[in-house]
Parts: sequence; structure tokens; C-alpha cells
Amino acid sequence: MNKFLVFLEQREGIVKKTSIDTWNRVQDLAALYGDSAVFGILAGPVDLQQLCASLSGKGVIYHASNEAFRLYNPGHYARLVAETLKLEACTTIFFADTVLSRDLAPKLSLRLKASLLSGCTIFDVSKEVCVRCLRPVYSGSTIASFVAERSIKIYTILSSAKLFHSISEAYPTIIPLETCCLTGSEDLFPIVRRMVMYSGRQDVTEASIIVAGGRGMGGSEGFVILEQLAQLLGGAVGASRQAVDGGWRPHFEQIGQTGKTVAPALYLACGISGTPQHLAGLGSGSTVVAAINSDRYAPIFDVADYGIVGDVHLVLPKLLDALHEFLKRK
Amino acid sequence: MNIAVCVCQVPDTASVIGFVDGAIDLTRVNDVMNPYDEYALEEAVSLKERFEGSTVTVFSVAAVSAKEMLRKALAMGADRAVLVSNIVVSDSFQTAQVLCQAISAFYQQALPDLVFCGKHSTDFQNGQVPPMLAEMLGIPSVTGITALHASFESIQVEREIEGGLEYIDINYPALLSADKGLNMPRKTSIRAVIEARKKTIDLFYATLCENASVAMISIEPLERKKICKFMHSEKELIRHLNEEYSFF
Repeated sequence: MNKFLVFLEQREGIVKKTSIDTWNRVQDLAALYGDSAVFGILAGPVDLQQLCASLSGKGVIYHASNEAFRLYNPGHYARLVAETLKLEACTTIFFADTVLSRDLAPKLSLRLKASLLSGCTIFDVSKEVCVRCLRPVYSGSTIASFVAERSIKIYTILSSAKLFHSISEAYPTIIPLETCCLTGSEDLFPIVRRMVMYSGRQDVTEASIIVAGGRGMGGSEGFVILEQLAQLLGGAVGASRQAVDGGWRPHFEQIGQTGKTVAPALYLACGISGTPQHLAGLGSGSTVVAAINSDRYAPIFDVADYGIVGDVHLVLPKLLDALHEFLKRK
Repeated sequence: MNIAVCVCQVPDTASVIGFVDGAIDLTRVNDVMNPYDEYALEEAVSLKERFEGSTVTVFSVAAVSAKEMLRKALAMGADRAVLVSNIVVSDSFQTAQVLCQAISAFYQQALPDLVFCGKHSTDFQNGQVPPMLAEMLGIPSVTGITALHASFESIQVEREIEGGLEYIDINYPALLSADKGLNMPRKTSIRAVIEARKKTIDLFYATLCENASVAMISIEPLERKKICKFMHSEKELIRHLNEEYSFF
């Protein structure tokens, strides 16, 4: 029997959407494999109502609701995952590809003597139960496939946001985990002293719709309309390197080779020329790209599904109005 | 303070990854220092300037041609460099192992106070070497820091998380991996480049003790080109996006 363990990340008591996406993907994988069981491990106090409303599918989720797990602590979290792995004799661990898992998974892989494959986008399950993991490398110009050689495997998955996904009839069982023995003074450092979450905006790595701006936006004022569009669509604002280096937008919005890799369902590229370094940030081939640029021959149009040739400052207000109208009629 | 910095080479942004007869061809690729390693190095050198008597040593697992990159690191302010080029590593685990050997040998089983790395290398973007190396050295680590406040006694760092920030305390010895935004890497002056020629690059011969834990079994060009449907109006775009994908 294949036993999969999914790490569910929470921040401020809310399970991250990327973890929910990962749980769903593993459910699909388990169905594909057959003869599989899915387990979850959740560290920290959470809003149980939100949790139950978000997760569907068969499985058992172990919940360590101890206050000691509220903030990320690599030592505690690593022990928690290792104990749960042992408890259910799982052989594979899945994480959403996040800052936390990029920090935790490598440490965990050493402790468990496990293979680690980071940033996976596609899983290719062959007959011999050998999972091949594909991901773009070399700034998105090439795609490579990897296999994990060791018997325990850890995968971190780039969340490919789908707007709709099938919801199963079943719901997972949540089992509280007693953890007083796991919060000893071993691994004293590092300690997360404080966490501050920004309110009112969605992170680019979690958004299903991204409205991104580049040099063509002209300055930080140019992004006001992008913020309005993002808010209307329930999405996030993204930026090219030029916009960030120009000081118009913060670095955490940068998409590209030295920024974030994203895989939204829809990517609206405004005033972005489409350099390979920027496109390297689009991690999934299934993202629908719509571009607005005044240059008919801008490279962005080579990778876009839809395009409007025009001045963003003229096109975007009309687009915003048209969307308002469209949504009102719905 | 003894500070170690791990650096690696990556294809520069303009390089085209070629394929010959279906196999990857990196001969026309121009190698540069991994951009994230520049932030790591800059931070190390800044600390050295603040804490008198400190030394910065760079370590790299790379081909002998990486000496040029190491000269740049020395020009940026590192004092010595150690290059391991007798081994071809196949995955992050092996890279971390070899770096661990080189660092342990250099500091003669004592540990440096700080080890800096770049968050990840822009070619494979695994980001696994820094935390793996820390585990192997037996020291705590924080990945992807965007701010650092260090005193003799303690270290406080910040890092961006999705939709927020974490403020983290850590003690010496520690490993930190650098994200963009940590600092602005200095440009090297001609004088610094000339002085760097007097600094040593040691060759360290490592041994591989364990097999790779991950195997790359294929690599192919990724074709991203699409046929763009040009819309004549904003309304037309909305209609298409809604009809084909139900986005709104």
C-alpha cells in the first residue's frame, strides 16, 4: 500500500490555499495509483471550521494544535513530521512549494535520509510505481525530469492554481495529536520571534489570477489601475524586474528569474515586454496568458494566448469599465 | 569573526542553452557567479568590515574555470578562496557533502561563526544546498533572509513569507541564505581586482562518500510558443476569456 503524507501549512490559524491544492493533487495521485492512503499533518492551532470546509477527500489528518506550533519552528516541525511518518509508515511526503517548505524540507530530508525533489510541476506516474517529476530548469528554457532514488521521498509541489476542482463526497478525519514530548529544548535555534501578515492583498504565489505590470506602466502611479483590476478579479498584483528595480513595486511582487515562480490560472501581462528572465517566472504551461503592449512584436505575444496591441494607459481603463459592466450583468 | 561563503556558477541571463542530437550542450554558455551568491558575499564582506579582525573565505564546488569567478569574489572583499574541482557532483545532497568536507577541513574541525549562501542557484532553483549543508555541519540555519542585524552575541534576521514577514532569532554558529533585497552588492574597483591577484585560491580534494539521492533522467528544450489571438477590443477579450475559461 502506498501511504502519502501531506504537510498542511497554516499561517495565523488558516490553512494555506497552496496546501489545500497540494492535498487535492495528492488525492488525485492516490486515486491514480490505487491501493493508497492519504494522511495529513497540521502543526499549530487552526480555525477548524475553515479546515473542514476547505478539505475534501478520504484521509486522516493528524493535528498538533499545541500553541508551541503556532509559529514555524524547524526543529519542532521536523520532529512532528518524522513522528507522523513513522506512526503511519508513510513513504512519501508532499509539501506545497512555499518559503516554509523550502526551509524545512531539506533539513527533514537529511534527518530521514530521504530524497528531496523541489518545485515539481508535473508528476508522471509510470507502471512500475516510479514517479517522475518534471520541472522547468535553466530559467524555463528547458524541462528536466527527476526520480527520487531513496526509499523515503519528499516532494515540494509548485501549486498550479485551478479555479475549479472537483470536490469529493468524502471528508478526512481529523485526529488530535498529543505532542508535549516533542517540544523539548533540542534545536533551540532558530526561533521565529514574530510574524507579521500584510492585510488586504493576496500574495502572487497564491493567486489564481495575476495582473502584472512592467516598464510600460511608466511608474508607480501606473499600477493603481492594476490594483483596481486585481481587486475586482480577486487576484494579486505582480511586477517585472524593471518595475521593482525602478522602486515602483516591492520585491515580493516580482515575477521572474530573480523573483517568484508562479502558476496562476490567468496571467494578465501589462506593459511587459516578455524577456526570457521574466517568463522564467511562469512555472506552468497551462497558465492562460493575456498581454497588453503597444509593441506588436514584443516577445510577450509569442507566449500569450490573447493579446491587445495598444497603450496600456488607454486600454486598461476601458478593460476595467468593461469588466465592471460584465460582472454586473452576471 | 570567521565567515564562510559558498558560491557557485550559473549560466548568465543571455546564455542560450543548446541541444545537440537531443543532448544538452552547454559549450556556448557563459558562466557567472550565481546572483544570489553575490548578496551572500556582500553581506559577509560588510560584516567583516564591521567586525575588525574578521576573515571571509569563499568555497566553491565547480570546474577549474571557476577560478575567474573566485577572483571576482576576492575582489569584492573575500580574503581567500577554496575550490573543489576534482569531483563531479550529481545532486544537491552531494554538493552539500563536498562543501561540508571542504569547510570542515579548512577550519580544522572548528566551525566558522557564520556561513552565507545564496538562496538558490538560478539554473536549477532547488535551494536545497544551504539547509542541507547546515544540517551536515550541525548548525542552525535560516533560508532566504532579506535583512540581518548582527551583534557579537546574537543575530536577528528577517525573511519574506507569502503575504508577510518573519522576524527570526538565531545564535552563532549559523548558516544564512540570502535573498534579493538583503543588500546591494558592491561593484569591484580596479584596485580591488589587482589586489585580489595576491590572494590565495586553494584547491581542495574531496571524496564522495554517498550516492546521489536524486537522479535527473532527462532534459529537453521547453517550447513555450503559442499562437496569440489578437483582440480588437477589451470587450472581445473579456468575452473570450469568459467563454473559453469561465474566469470571471
